Amino acid sequence: MQPRLKDIVIVGGGSAGWMTAAALSSLLDPKDVTITLVESDQIGTIGVGEATIPDIINFNRILGLDEVEFMKATNATFKLGIEFVDWGRKGDRYIHPFGQHGVDMKGIDFHNFWLHSRTAGSGQPIENYSLCSVLAKRNKFALPDPNPRSVLSHVRYAYHFDATLYARFLRKYAEARGVRRIEGKIEQVQQAGETGFIEALILDTGMTVRGDFFFDCTGFRALLSENTLGVPFIDWSHWLPCNSALAVPCSHSGPLTPYTRSTAKISGWQWRIPTQQRTGNGHIYCREFISDDEATSILMDGLDGEALGTPRQIRFTAGHRRDFWTGNCIAIGLSAGFLEPLESTSIYLIQEGISRFISLFSTVGTPQIVRDEYNRHMRTEFEQVRDFIILHFSATQRDDSPFWQYCSAMSIPDSLKYKIELFHEASRIFRYEEELFTRPSWVAVMLGQGITPKCLDPIVSNLPHHEVTESIESMRRAMEQAADQASTHEQFIARYCPAEVH
Amino acid sequence: MICGGGLAAHITVAMLSRQLPATIGITFVQLGDTSGTDLFYGSVAGPTAYAFNRSAGLEEPKLVLESDTAFSWGTKYDHWASGSRSWIQCFQLPLPIIDGVMFHHYVVQQGVAQLEPFLAAAAAARKGAFVHPPQKPGAGQEPLSRSEYGYQFDAMSYGGLFDACTDRGRVRIVNATTLEIERDESGIAAILLASGERIAGDLFVDCTGPDALVVSRVGSSFAARRKLGAAISHSPSAQLGAPMRTVSPTSFGWRSETPLRGRRARLTVYHPDSTADALQEHPDGAERTCEITLGRRSDAWCGNCVAIGQAAYVVEPLSTAPLLLLERDVERLMSLIPSSTDMSIERREYNRQSAEDHEHAELFTRAILETDHFPDTPYWQAVRAEPTNEKFARKIELFQDRGLLVSYDLEPFNPEDWTILHFGMGRGPARHDRMADRAPRDRVQGFLARMKRDVEKAVASLPSHATYMAELSRYLTQNRL
Repeated sequence: MQPRLKDIVIVGGGSAGWMTAAALSSLLDPKDVTITLVESDQIGTIGVGEATIPDIINFNRILGLDEVEFMKATNATFKLGIEFVDWGRKGDRYIHPFGQHGVDMKGIDFHNFWLHSRTAGSGQPIENYSLCSVLAKRNKFALPDPNPRSVLSHVRYAYHFDATLYARFLRKYAEARGVRRIEGKIEQVQQAGETGFIEALILDTGMTVRGDFFFDCTGFRALLSENTLGVPFIDWSHWLPCNSALAVPCSHSGPLTPYTRSTAKISGWQWRIPTQQRTGNGHIYCREFISDDEATSILMDGLDGEALGTPRQIRFTAGHRRDFWTGNCIAIGLSAGFLEPLESTSIYLIQEGISRFISLFSTVGTPQIVRDEYNRHMRTEFEQVRDFIILHFSATQRDDSPFWQYCSAMSIPDSLKYKIELFHEASRIFRYEEELFTRPSWVAVMLGQGITPKCLDPIVSNLPHHEVTESIESMRRAMEQAADQASTHEQFIARYCPAEVH
Repeated sequence: MICGGGLAAHITVAMLSRQLPATIGITFVQLGDTSGTDLFYGSVAGPTAYAFNRSAGLEEPKLVLESDTAFSWGTKYDHWASGSRSWIQCFQLPLPIIDGVMFHHYVVQQGVAQLEPFLAAAAAARKGAFVHPPQKPGAGQEPLSRSEYGYQFDAMSYGGLFDACTDRGRVRIVNATTLEIERDESGIAAILLASGERIAGDLFVDCTGPDALVVSRVGSSFAARRKLGAAISHSPSAQLGAPMRTVSPTSFGWRSETPLRGRRARLTVYHPDSTADALQEHPDGAERTCEITLGRRSDAWCGNCVAIGQAAYVVEPLSTAPLLLLERDVERLMSLIPSSTDMSIERREYNRQSAEDHEHAELFTRAILETDHFPDTPYWQAVRAEPTNEKFARKIELFQDRGLLVSYDLEPFNPEDWTILHFGMGRGPARHDRMADRAPRDRVQGFLARMKRDVEKAVASLPSHATYMAELSRYLTQNRL
């Protein structure tokens, strides 16, 4: 049997680095394995207001974090979904909620019943049958009810939080469990001659940090994966042309929304992420279609409160590292790949990177089949998220700018093309390979972006109209009633997890 | 328009006639004798059968009252792996996940080599006992509520049940002895019968068994693998046997014993060169024999013709794969009934799913055959000569190495099936998930001991399969409208 890992080194201390440190420290006994994190205060982290998806709850649960304590410390609010504005056509709005629309009946997906009722003249958008979006539209919130008979059992949620505070919170957690933090910049990386495995890092302080396994959490610089190991980058910018972001927080105004908003702009899109004390904003755009100055003024015009500071510039390329795990090094976070945060998947992809490693937990000199399995899984994850994001850009009727003309005309991956065709033909959706986004997500976005099925599924069209309408309307009424009784998001936060004033 | 006969045709016709809107006409051209090849659907249906049958209009009480079908917890592979290992491949709902870690890691952590003591269905099968797993567990019944059951059937009488519940008013049935095909640019325009009748249709469903009389004429080719023979005989049994099929390896291939009501079915599956040896296992002579070639067609759906069951692929009935695949074919067709005469989109998705289902089911069958110590005879030589692929290697190696269940898209066999199989074959992982070490060892030990005791207690009081079946029949007869 091969020897177990003894010294794990994490390079970089943003969300990716500290999430990795926290997860590993929750699991490993410091007597058996030492975990060291190297970071430099001189190098900033890309911590902006961060939106998440419900999977984060699992991550926090594995760490044993207390939800209230975590929310207080990170300025967190609740998130029930994303509102998309001006995407399909200018003036369009739709919500992509967490959880399901309605309830599937007789083995048939709910959206088929909804389409059926629409042919009978019902004008309700599908989001009115999702409890999360019914609550979101009224700026209300309730925690899920564990009793499956309660309509509130359908609530699914995630958080908006301050990523820098999240990293700080996890740092405290990890250090308490024996993670050693070393301040310093990496000057040199030593590799074993024969295998190319990384052996040690030499810091600007002169210190040498040895390890038998390394995590590259150095962000876009990809210090180990790119500079040292030379792992090539798979470029997806022909499908996802945006390559710049400008981010700035602003003060609150209006009610505290329990959802992220994403508004399509002339050559990109803008996010709005409410945390407890301010609102995070960012404009993601493509420099081939718009200048940085124009992009800045669009960002500033789109704020709904007073700007707190000047916008920060970030440059990127959509895509991923060909291999996530090379030798004895795994890239996690932005060093592994970048997909614009249109569906809030950044933290999720970090989480997957960590939990896959844990499930495959390595020995010294990992067998190749284990690395292959890890890389296969992560590549699939990235590709599936990629397809879902491309859908937002390609399924549009907008042609009011060169950017949107490009997006609506570009070729798309076959995997996505087939999905769209199946839905367009007769409202069919199949989930491929346990992908992250479930059928209700695809339905919400495809309908929201204006892809309408040509006809009903032949089997559903057989059902009598009044029966269908009656059963889905009773679902909708139950959701409306539950929303009537719920408190506002603002009240809920104030009672449940008010942040300490920083 | 459905062409063919036997189990695949009857199931397809029953489902289509029940589910399709009245605006779509259905014609069933009954053709060909599949009583031989139907042997290759095997004799065990998994837990999916209950819901599937209902949606085709076949309710369980009818199954109990009108056929010799019995209940089944699964299959016992007797003296199978490494020459001596036996295990019961039972049907099981997900095993507990404790603290984010799958159950089997705790089993490995504690140095336990067997999964069977924790599986109520396996314990009940071994005892020959049966009850329906409770939906809401009462006191002491928790272990059983995680069990699932299927059926032990005879392919001919099982097919007959579906035939009997088909609405004759909904389906036009035509009997034919031969068939000619009239082609057009989309595939098939019509079927011409010996009587001179011409039957036109938009979509043709081929249920003619391995000959694939329809789809083979529109360009779907067959990739052949091993050749197999099968023979069946029955012996009367006064009392219903265990709710479990028993499969044993032999020099000619393998032999299965399946208790049905009133009789036992013995099936032998063998290499054609060993036919004489196999037939000796049927002292009163085999009732039916059949030779077949395993493999699959290039496209299950070609033009406007869909092949269902053995017309699309022939698999070995060593596991529940054959019937499971047949059910999935019919369900897949129902989920992709074309919305217009241009079927390209439905066809592409159907073929993608169909090819994956077949490949993934074959991984499972292959995993049962993947062990040493089998004899050096034609059947086992042919098995060993078959190449395996990278997906297979990942499944086996990653479980053996670290207990990781690699799974692919919507596999017919679920992670529990694979876990039970791996343990049964003695592929216990070398290492467990480190996350399992977070729980105190004595607590884990206590938990496993309690679980084992609960299984023993729950099974101790169960009635025998025969008693339960007799009482259920009596109850159903009394309450029948």
